[in-house]
Amino acid sequence: MLAKLTKHELYATGRIFLPLYSIMLLLSLINRGFSSIGELSSPFKTLKGFMVAAYVISIVATLVITFVIIILRFYKNLMSDEGYLMFTLPVKPSQLINAKLIVSFLWNILSIFVVATSLFIILGTSKNLEMFRGLLDLAVTGLKSTFGSSYPILIAEYIIMIFVGTIYQILMIYVSIAIGHLLNEHKVIGSFAAYIAINTIIQMLVSIIVLIWTNLELSIFTYTPYYGTTETITGNNVNYSVSIVQAITKQIIPFSIIFSVLCCVAFYLVTNYIFKKKLNLN
Amino acid sequence: MSVILECKSLTKKFGSTTALFNVNLSLERGKIIGLLGPNGSGKTTLIKIINGLLVPDTGSIKIAGMNPGVESKKIVSYLPEKTYLPDWMKVSEAISFFKDFYGDFEEKRAYDMLHRLNLDPTKRLKTLSKGTKEKVQLILVMSRRANLYCLDEPIGGVDPAARDYILNTIITNYDENATVIISTHLIADIENVLDEVVFIKEGSLVLHAPVDEIREKEGKSIDSLFREVFRC
Repeated sequence: MLAKLTKHELYATGRIFLPLYSIMLLLSLINRGFSSIGELSSPFKTLKGFMVAAYVISIVATLVITFVIIILRFYKNLMSDEGYLMFTLPVKPSQLINAKLIVSFLWNILSIFVVATSLFIILGTSKNLEMFRGLLDLAVTGLKSTFGSSYPILIAEYIIMIFVGTIYQILMIYVSIAIGHLLNEHKVIGSFAAYIAINTIIQMLVSIIVLIWTNLELSIFTYTPYYGTTETITGNNVNYSVSIVQAITKQIIPFSIIFSVLCCVAFYLVTNYIFKKKLNLN
Repeated sequence: MSVILECKSLTKKFGSTTALFNVNLSLERGKIIGLLGPNGSGKTTLIKIINGLLVPDTGSIKIAGMNPGVESKKIVSYLPEKTYLPDWMKVSEAISFFKDFYGDFEEKRAYDMLHRLNLDPTKRLKTLSKGTKEKVQLILVMSRRANLYCLDEPIGGVDPAARDYILNTIITNYDENATVIISTHLIADIENVLDEVVFIKEGSLVLHAPVDEIREKEGKSIDSLFREVFRC
């Protein structure tokens, strides 16, 4: 049933996203065409300016609409009148959440790829590509010199963080809508309030944890030789900065990932509980 | 006759208002049952509980012996009082959707009924009038071979001619093993098709009896009995 739900969700959202992506890619092709022509007569110059503006708008629209659709689909399809259809299907509430989550995640990632592709179309001249490659090399060299052999771990961690962060954002929207929907009136305002409240609570939690942690860490930094990587270390100052750098890969990012995953689990369980026990469709 | 629906001391409150209070109800298979009561008497709440859209505060409910859940939803066909189909869908897409999710859905039956009511399956739902949308929904719901049909105000928004066709559809489309619950306050219109009636007033069950028995005992129609019981 999850496969069927996902299929229908893809269909329902694809009819919005696919035309949007096509328009953006088409506009990038047009703009690439204009820029390769060179000198233009004035009416074409105006047209070119117009196309550039349209392209920029299409990129912003894609990113904004991806976000808006995630909210609207969840709200309209599950919490409004359509909820009567969805919640009486022979599926578990968790499957409804899963299908929405999978598809939202997919569009989120895909929108990044489509924007990247369109930038590649517009800027992908051989000269630019060479420059880009140079920059990439420079970045890798920089990472290597700072993080040593652990730089691939850093990159992997970073990618995981993007994925987890995306799921975190989606589930936070879902749980906020589900909580707002517990109210008999003003459900939309309730959802916004829930979102702000959850955000505030998590910020506070993070601040407290960081505060405790840095206090602990500082004592460690001061009193014990921490992280014994000595190969590049010449003096105390460097030792300290290397430790900080190491802390990023070994502590800060892993902590962020674990913390986000825990939040995701909490958001998911609360949403599922509300759907199972506290459903309150108008 | 086996029991299709069994409610035991069912109570549901919304804040300080009691929507259902201590409802005990047992419905058999093979009946058309009118769930009758004024607005806000708890009809919709009861139907929502049967369909798992609400969880009762206390008491239990069994559909063919099962708690409301995935398995019960497979055998209950529900028509809410809302227009609940996504309006961007074409009628044909709504049919595929039902076919995909309900194993007991009969596509051919749905297309036959659409044809009979002169409805174009290629039309998008948003282009249809409210009454037409209701017809489409009823067709979808009645095209399932369900054990229990819950129709919440199925004839409220459609014209009298279509009303006759729809009632006829309901009577001819369910089999002996199935039960149909029709919630409405348009009693006179459906009186003739009902086997039993359930009167519900301010969340409590006031009467559950076969229609023939009422006519015999009270010597009056369900419509006039309703006016008497629910006199304002």
